Amino acid sequence: MSVALGIDLGTTNSCAAIATPTGVEFILGPRGERVHPSVVAFPSSGGVVVGADAKRYRLTEPHHVIHSAKRFIGQNIRAPLVQLALTGVRYRVEEGPNQQPIVVVRDRRMTMPEISSNVLLHLKRCAERQLGTPIKDAVVTVPANFTDGQRQATKEAGRLAGLEIMRLINEPTAAALAYGFGRDRQQVICVFDFGGGTFDVSLLRLNGEVFEVLASEGDFFLGGDDLDRALGEVLAAECNRMLRIDPRPNAALMMKLMMGAEAIKCHLSDNDAAEGEIDGLEMPGMPAQRLPFQITRKQFEALISGYVSRTIEVTKQVLASAGLDARSVSEVLCVGGSTRIPLVRQRLAELFQRPPNTAINPDEVVSQGAAIQAGSLVGNLTMGSGMGARDAVATSGHSNLVGAGNLVLPQVQAKRPILMDVNPATLAIHTAGGFTERLLDKNAPIPIERTRVFTTSRDNQTRVEIDCCRGEERRYTENEPLGTLILEELPPKPRGELKIEVMFRVDADGILHVRASDQTSGARQEAHLQVLGAPVHEDPHR
Amino acid sequence: MSVRSDVLLWAQRVLAKSGAPAHQLLDVRADAPPDVVSDAFQQIARMAHPDLHRSNLDAADLETVTSAYSRVAGAYQEMRSARQTTSKIKTVGTNEPPSIVAQRLSGQVKAQTPSAGVPQGEAPATSSSGGPAHSMNSRALIYYRKAEAALRRGDLRNAVMQMKMAIAGDPGSTFLRTALGEMEKELSKKP
Repeated sequence: MSVALGIDLGTTNSCAAIATPTGVEFILGPRGERVHPSVVAFPSSGGVVVGADAKRYRLTEPHHVIHSAKRFIGQNIRAPLVQLALTGVRYRVEEGPNQQPIVVVRDRRMTMPEISSNVLLHLKRCAERQLGTPIKDAVVTVPANFTDGQRQATKEAGRLAGLEIMRLINEPTAAALAYGFGRDRQQVICVFDFGGGTFDVSLLRLNGEVFEVLASEGDFFLGGDDLDRALGEVLAAECNRMLRIDPRPNAALMMKLMMGAEAIKCHLSDNDAAEGEIDGLEMPGMPAQRLPFQITRKQFEALISGYVSRTIEVTKQVLASAGLDARSVSEVLCVGGSTRIPLVRQRLAELFQRPPNTAINPDEVVSQGAAIQAGSLVGNLTMGSGMGARDAVATSGHSNLVGAGNLVLPQVQAKRPILMDVNPATLAIHTAGGFTERLLDKNAPIPIERTRVFTTSRDNQTRVEIDCCRGEERRYTENEPLGTLILEELPPKPRGELKIEVMFRVDADGILHVRASDQTSGARQEAHLQVLGAPVHEDPHR
Repeated sequence: MSVRSDVLLWAQRVLAKSGAPAHQLLDVRADAPPDVVSDAFQQIARMAHPDLHRSNLDAADLETVTSAYSRVAGAYQEMRSARQTTSKIKTVGTNEPPSIVAQRLSGQVKAQTPSAGVPQGEAPATSSSGGPAHSMNSRALIYYRKAEAALRRGDLRNAVMQMKMAIAGDPGSTFLRTALGEMEKELSKKP
């Protein structure tokens, strides 16, 4: 039997696990850590460093340390939110072909999938060392509202790391799977996933082994990074006022303040106030300075309450689109490090009139779900992989999967979970008069396929362009364009006589495939869609 | 082996029904209530979800099953969205005559659709867009009703104001925005 890895590829941290008969086993880093920072460093001394070790280069070589790559993967660099996020990073990003962002470190130019593939490769190597077997297959999680381009880019990252990505699953769905697998639960749950860079909220109906997503909403530019930045700006202003140093143009100094902000944020989750000083603030031509700070939880909460309110708004929205009342939700799962913030939990408790479930580990539950799905897809899943065994440690149990397997463990073949996930956005095409014709609705179950027949609107029309877009708006121009399919050299016919069949399919990974074919002419011709923002290889001869 | 051939037979049957109405793909009656439809779909998912067959079907057979399952999902979406439109009309459910704004709006759309453009939908554009009297929240609905009342009185200026309040109550609603656009256009025509 083969082993498949479940990977939670996060904005700030990643986590990997496999399903074993004794429970989910986490892949440990070189120092025994379960959580691996999604940081890739290209130090001056040469080579590539990934994970906890890479983080250490943040201070000495901030321009050569790539973090938060997930915020840019598969994105159009010209998008306003991407430009905003770029102001928060210290490494250089340029525009590449198909408007994709390209990271420039010294003279190396790398796409975002290449950066992320380093993280995946690191996890793959750790797993191979731990399990003593080569690993080829993986299930990787992505935020529920990831677009087509982002999903394709994530798959590309897996390919570059030498992993076959069997499936991309949505992070909230993975968390729900870890919560409900093998428990035969009958309930409606809400998964509130507030991570380092993205925010997602999903409602699921659990019905035995069926995990049906009812609705999903999110914001992929809202996360712990933003909270750090808000606090970091306050520290920068303080630095300017007290020390008469403006840290903003100085990358190393700003990085130091951001790291301080992150530490203060985490401290305030357990304590009412944070007091201390950030030392070693070096400016050229000056001795190192120290910045004292004193921040209460109340002050911090006032600072971030706008972000938290936004998450609550989105949660209300998802309830509305599922047509459910907050009271019909019988469990609220907190996923992602930012849900440790007391204000977040408090606002959630107010909304749902029940305390959220905090018994799960918000950093690890997503990779647990991914591991269960990976085990299920390779047909290698037994009972006991669920959350009850979440602290299962490495035992000889896993060698049972990997090696000859003389060890006898009570192996009850589990019912395979059935994930009925949803399409993250409405997909439509441009029709006459500047309007759109919806083919696939947001929150429709995937995989899904729909075919519509369209016709020409002018006599002797020999060329048809089909513009595809995503978004809810009725006017085409108000939606996000995805790309255009062109059918040419059609037989000239009076208008309305030529039948063009357009097929939209969203596969189980949430990736869109569009096919258009001319039904009338004997020679059926077909065209496929190249989605804008999807990874394209940079031309080496450019 | 039998599970394998069962699901393949099912898939081939579904693919053969290409072009059939949605309810036939789900094996339910055309007027089946929502929970029957969703149960039917879950039943199919338990048997035919492609993930269940990944390790025991070859690539071509898996594609057949995936394709059939995807089409059934499309049919389910179709039946569900039809149901949502009707149930929402029910919940909004006053016995008032259909909204004036909505009538104007749909008239407008119909007038525009036949004009030149590429490609032209065979079905009118209104068919899949969901009804206008739809899922706005209660606050938006109150102002929307006020806007309608103002419109009936012919007080366009007041109607625009109420409509803006409605949008403030439900900023995500496309319908409200479109309606406001129409009203503002008309307002600008008048002196």
